[in-house]
Amino acid sequence: MKRLQIRTSLLVALGASLASLILLIWRYGADTEVTSEKIVVATVVGLTIGALYSLSATGLVVVYTTTGTFNFAHGGIGVFSAFVYWEIVENRTGPELPQWLGLLLVVLVVAPALGVAIDVILMRRLRDAPLVVQLMVTVGLMVFLLTLTGQIWQADKIRGVSFFWEGQGFSIGEQKVAWHRFANLVIAAIIAVFLRLLLFRTRMGVAMRAVVDNRDLTALNGARPGALSAFAWALGSSLAALAGILVAPEVEFNPTNLNSLMLIVAISAAAFGQIRSLPLTVAGGLLIGLLESYNREWIDLGADFPFAGRAVAPIVLFLVVLALPQARLSVGRVSNNLRPIERTTHIWEGAIGAIVIIFMGWAIARGALHFLVWDPGEWSSVSLNKGISAMVLALIALSLVPLTGWAGQVNFAPLAFAGFGAFLFLRLGLWFGVPDTGGTGNLVWLPVIGLLCAPLGALLAVFAARLSGLYLALLSLAFALITSNVLFPHPQVFPRVHTFQSPYLDVGLFRIDFDSRFSFFMLLVTMFALGMFCLVVLRRSRYGRRWVAMQDSQAAAATVGVNVIWTKIVVYATSSAMAGMAGVLWATSKSTVDFRDFDLLNGLTIVLLMAAAGMSFPIAGLFLSFQFVFEGLAERLDQTENVGFLVWLLKDFFAKFGPGLLAIGMVVNQRGAIFEMGKGFAPLLPWRSDARAEMATENARKREAEIGGLGLTEPFTSEAVVGLDSVLGIVDDVTPGAGYQHGVTRPMEQTRE
Amino acid sequence: MSDDTLVAEAIDVRFGGLQALTGAEVTARSGEITGLIGPNGAGKTTLFNVITGHQVPNAGDIRLGGKSVRGYGVHRRAQLGLSRTFQKLEAFNSLSARDNVLVAAEMSRHSRKPGQLADKILSRVGLNDVADITVGTLPTGTARLVELARALATRPRVLLLDEASSGLTEEETSAVGDLLKQLVAEDDLAVLLVEHDMGFVMTTCTRIHVLDFGQIIAVGTPEEIQNDKAVRGAYLGVES
Repeated sequence: MKRLQIRTSLLVALGASLASLILLIWRYGADTEVTSEKIVVATVVGLTIGALYSLSATGLVVVYTTTGTFNFAHGGIGVFSAFVYWEIVENRTGPELPQWLGLLLVVLVVAPALGVAIDVILMRRLRDAPLVVQLMVTVGLMVFLLTLTGQIWQADKIRGVSFFWEGQGFSIGEQKVAWHRFANLVIAAIIAVFLRLLLFRTRMGVAMRAVVDNRDLTALNGARPGALSAFAWALGSSLAALAGILVAPEVEFNPTNLNSLMLIVAISAAAFGQIRSLPLTVAGGLLIGLLESYNREWIDLGADFPFAGRAVAPIVLFLVVLALPQARLSVGRVSNNLRPIERTTHIWEGAIGAIVIIFMGWAIARGALHFLVWDPGEWSSVSLNKGISAMVLALIALSLVPLTGWAGQVNFAPLAFAGFGAFLFLRLGLWFGVPDTGGTGNLVWLPVIGLLCAPLGALLAVFAARLSGLYLALLSLAFALITSNVLFPHPQVFPRVHTFQSPYLDVGLFRIDFDSRFSFFMLLVTMFALGMFCLVVLRRSRYGRRWVAMQDSQAAAATVGVNVIWTKIVVYATSSAMAGMAGVLWATSKSTVDFRDFDLLNGLTIVLLMAAAGMSFPIAGLFLSFQFVFEGLAERLDQTENVGFLVWLLKDFFAKFGPGLLAIGMVVNQRGAIFEMGKGFAPLLPWRSDARAEMATENARKREAEIGGLGLTEPFTSEAVVGLDSVLGIVDDVTPGAGYQHGVTRPMEQTRE
Repeated sequence: MSDDTLVAEAIDVRFGGLQALTGAEVTARSGEITGLIGPNGAGKTTLFNVITGHQVPNAGDIRLGGKSVRGYGVHRRAQLGLSRTFQKLEAFNSLSARDNVLVAAEMSRHSRKPGQLADKILSRVGLNDVADITVGTLPTGTARLVELARALATRPRVLLLDEASSGLTEEETSAVGDLLKQLVAEDDLAVLLVEHDMGFVMTTCTRIHVLDFGQIIAVGTPEEIQNDKAVRGAYLGVES
């Protein structure tokens, strides 16, 4: 195992170095020169930054090895802590607080407190939750922390954090090294040694490593699992804070930028150490630091690849995940919250649902619905635009249902597929349409786009097929980052100036234009209803069943003859075709696509809202309208009456914090909001007598004590015992009538006689 | 021999320094129930995993109907007629019992109407009453029967059962035994089962293989096995 780990990491290091060497030779002599002095400078800069990456990554590893939770909020904790530091040291009026005191205060008090709070309030409830839920909650926490930081300290304001020992340093030859950077190296080295000693030489460290393997057994041996996991979270958060504060002077100091640095790099470095080995993680951090630094110095890919530098860490992550040894066919997932009858929607119900959605879309937008005293009236073009934005996101979100909801393949890159679809549509327009305007608006191409997008999904599936769980999530994350930083900003993909035409459908025989906002909105609503109906049909087909079966147990699926790899390829292709077609409408609705549209947070928000609503339900796509509904309501309230608080609540609180908070809410409600809503709603439908019966049983169960009146109000009869035995599957020699007459009292009576 | 549907030949498996199987040989004939017994850790489940393709052996060959399936993946072997149940329950927990069977029936090439096949098998195993219940909420014993039904729905030539009786009541166990005997007689099926319930093994199996420390130490009829000194040694720790 150990040898295999090292081999994998070496392989990746070698691959990454080779790739940079090739790039270096390719670009050699372009407009850069390689000198020994420049090499020294780049190496020193790379190592000092790399040291900080290592610090951050070790925090991630400590939490993972102790609690088994992969913490996507790690970067968010670092960002929040760095801003608190900035607030108390740089921004404070009044008596000056020394930098070192501020640092200690944040690293030793604020961050650990935050970590412990996260553990106690959220993570402990998720110990036995499925991986998807754990992931979504930490991603939700990340989004929440970033929004919080952005709300407290306006994100777009320019601010800076000063170096420690500003301007002072020492010289190596000609080159001056700042004390701050030197200190980075020293601190990282000290922490690495400290962690190694803590985990391997102290009782507590051994207990920390043991607790993740078997919590109960460790507890029996005298350790306190709760205290250990709290300590791990405190330690991990401290490390995130330390790295965040030290890296802050080096970079553009805003939440998103700092987070992508802290989180993506930490994840890549941790993956380099297979999220287990601390020395390899440190090496991974240093490697990424060096690669980034060399890349900055020499590898200029030109104006066409403005953000290629940001892709270094994701590429390392991608390589590591690919080089990992094949995961064994995963067996059994934890299944909780299962209902005795998991009902799949009937096709006719899907058809009715689709019609209802189209009708509601029309009625709401036309203002045909009056809410008693409140007449919302016909939608303005602003509201229609909001509705359009919501519906395109819902369409993209639908693509997650078969992939993540049914087949259990976590995908953080829905926007990558959507972007690819939009790109193809633009190209098709250039090739077959009118060349100058940049794109055709003819939706007749939609199925073609779907077919063309499918291979991209299949390609990702080929990589993903060997992986499961966490590494699969990381692979899709790396994929999203690489496409958004390298592919989509390239001017050949989305030219700086381009316009998607307003859509129309021209099949030769007839032509429908969707040039008014209302008709476009109705087009999207219809597409959503259609997509939802198709999914309902798909779920009832053999493919839907097979996908769910594969999520439940890959090993068992294979033994009944399911080709697991091929099945994964099909489901990825389906999902990417859906996302690609949605991407066309997405791009059309915006009329021009910018690389900023592919920001990781945009993609994550789609995934989060979908997860919070319930990934396995197509109707959950409507949750993507969440933000727009709240914003729209707030605007309308703002116009009509003076209800400032309500407006603030809707617009600034729910609309902004909603996605994060909803995902965090999965702690309580793991199967999503739709699941719970459905439980309440289904009994109202006239044909759902089964749902009414289920509700009645559940209510009856709540009123009863667990074993009923047995032993309390009713005597233990032999029949009752045998009945209990058969329920519990206990085989016993006791036969009714012969053995126990009245349970436990009998033997005592005998002794008295 | 031509009537050996399944032949596992000279199987070697090493886990690092541990020799889990050494030249293990097992045969199963159609129309017969073959038992595979042995103390804990003897390598029974490992041998099963090698046969179904979950574990790649260091040496040895598997033949199904005279044809080597070496290098074939799990699903290829399943399509060729090899089906199994698991020691640790591996049902599709979030699907109903009927859907569990249906997924398998839909993969079977011999069946044009998977729905009918599924219903037929469900009633044969006696699961009609729970057909619509989510398997994850069923008691272990019933879920095991669902696994058995699912394995049967692929229309296998060889059925491997890993501790089919654990979690079942005595009546259920004997019902399973009767069902297996019926299936073997009617469908020309070969059954290979790993079992700890000796009573069940001795009454159900025609032939028994005994595995100890990764090696087959005895093959024979139940009577022969019961009187075999090496087997007694392996089970009771008595030197033979």
